[in-house]
Amino acid sequence: MTKSNDLDQIIVGCKNGDAECFSQVVDIYASRCYGYFCRLTGNKDVSDDLLSQLFVKLAERIGSYKGGSFEGWLFRIASNIFHDYLRGKHRQKKLLDVRKRDLGSEITGLKRGESELVDRLQRAIGRLDTETRELIMLRFYSQLSFKEMAKMRSEPIGTTLSRLHRGLKKLRMLMEER
Amino acid sequence: MNERHDENLKELFERFLSAEQANEAVKDVVQGERILREYPAPEPDRELIADIQSKAAARLLSRRANVFKKVARRTVAVAAAVIILATVSVRLFEIGGDQSGGVANAEAIPRALWESDDIAADDMELAVFTAEVKQIEGEILILQLGENGRNGERVVAELEIKFAEIQSDFWKE
Repeated sequence: MTKSNDLDQIIVGCKNGDAECFSQVVDIYASRCYGYFCRLTGNKDVSDDLLSQLFVKLAERIGSYKGGSFEGWLFRIASNIFHDYLRGKHRQKKLLDVRKRDLGSEITGLKRGESELVDRLQRAIGRLDTETRELIMLRFYSQLSFKEMAKMRSEPIGTTLSRLHRGLKKLRMLMEER
Repeated sequence: MNERHDENLKELFERFLSAEQANEAVKDVVQGERILREYPAPEPDRELIADIQSKAAARLLSRRANVFKKVARRTVAVAAAVIILATVSVRLFEIGGDQSGGVANAEAIPRALWESDDIAADDMELAVFTAEVKQIEGEILILQLGENGRNGERVVAELEIKFAEIQSDFWKE
C-alpha cells in the first residue's frame, strides 16, 4: 500500500504534467480498477477498454482534483464510466432486439466470447442486481470506508451499510448453493 | 488518504442494530469479502498498462500545452492593455503640461478582470473602455490641432474628469 505522503507527491507530479508520476498512479491503481470493471462487466475485453478510458479521463481531469480521498475521486470517475457503458449496452440491446424481430429466428443470441469471465464467483455476481453488485465491488476494490462510500453515493451511511450487508449475505448464499 | 483503516465495523453497525445483530452483520460482511478475496479478478496485461501509460502521457502533454497557451494569451492581453494605458497617459501628460492638478495616471487592469471567466461581461466592459479611450484620443487630437480655439483648458479639465470617472467606475471593481 502506498503511503499517503508518497501518493500526495505523486499526485502533485501528475498535476504538473509529469508522465512518470502518472505512470506510477497507473501502476498503483490499475489492478484494483481492472478488478472492479471485470467483476461488474464479466468481460475482459470490455474491462480493457473501460480501464483505458478511466486513465485517459484521469489524465485530462487531474487538474480538477482538489484533495480529499483520491480513491473516492478515482472510483467516482470509474463508476461514471461503468454507467456510460451500461447505457450504451442497453441501447445496443434494444437495437439487437429490433433486428432479431426483423430477422425472425436467425439470431438466437450472442455466443459467450473467450474474454468472458466464467468462474463461480462471476456466475453468483451475475445473479445480483446491478446496484448491489456495484456497491459490493466499489467497497472491495476502492477500499473506501462506509462513510466515504455513503458520501460518494449521496445517501445516509445506514443505507449503504444495510445494502452492502444484505448484498454480501446474498452473495455468500449464492456461492453456497450447489 | 482513506479512512477505511480507522473504521470500526462493529461500532458502525451498532448505531443501527443491537449488539448481537451488529456482530452477525460484521460476520456476514467479513465472510462475504473473504469470498471475493478467494476468487481474485484477472490482472490487466502489461501491454495494456504500457498502452494506457503512453496514451495518458500524450494527454498530459497536450494539457500542459493548453495551459501554456492560456497563460500566454492572458499575458499578451495584459501587455496590450498596459501599452494602451501607457500611450494614453503619456499623451494626456504631454497635453496637461505644467497645469495644476495634472492628469491622474491610470492603474493596471485589476487581476480579477483577467482571472474572471465571465467573458461576455468582461468583453462588454472592455468595449466600453475602448470606446471611451477612442473618444479621449479624438479630443486630444482636436486639442493638438488647435481646433478648439480658446477652449483648450476647459477641454483638458473635462478630460481629467472623464478619466477620473473611468478609474473609479471601471478599474476599481
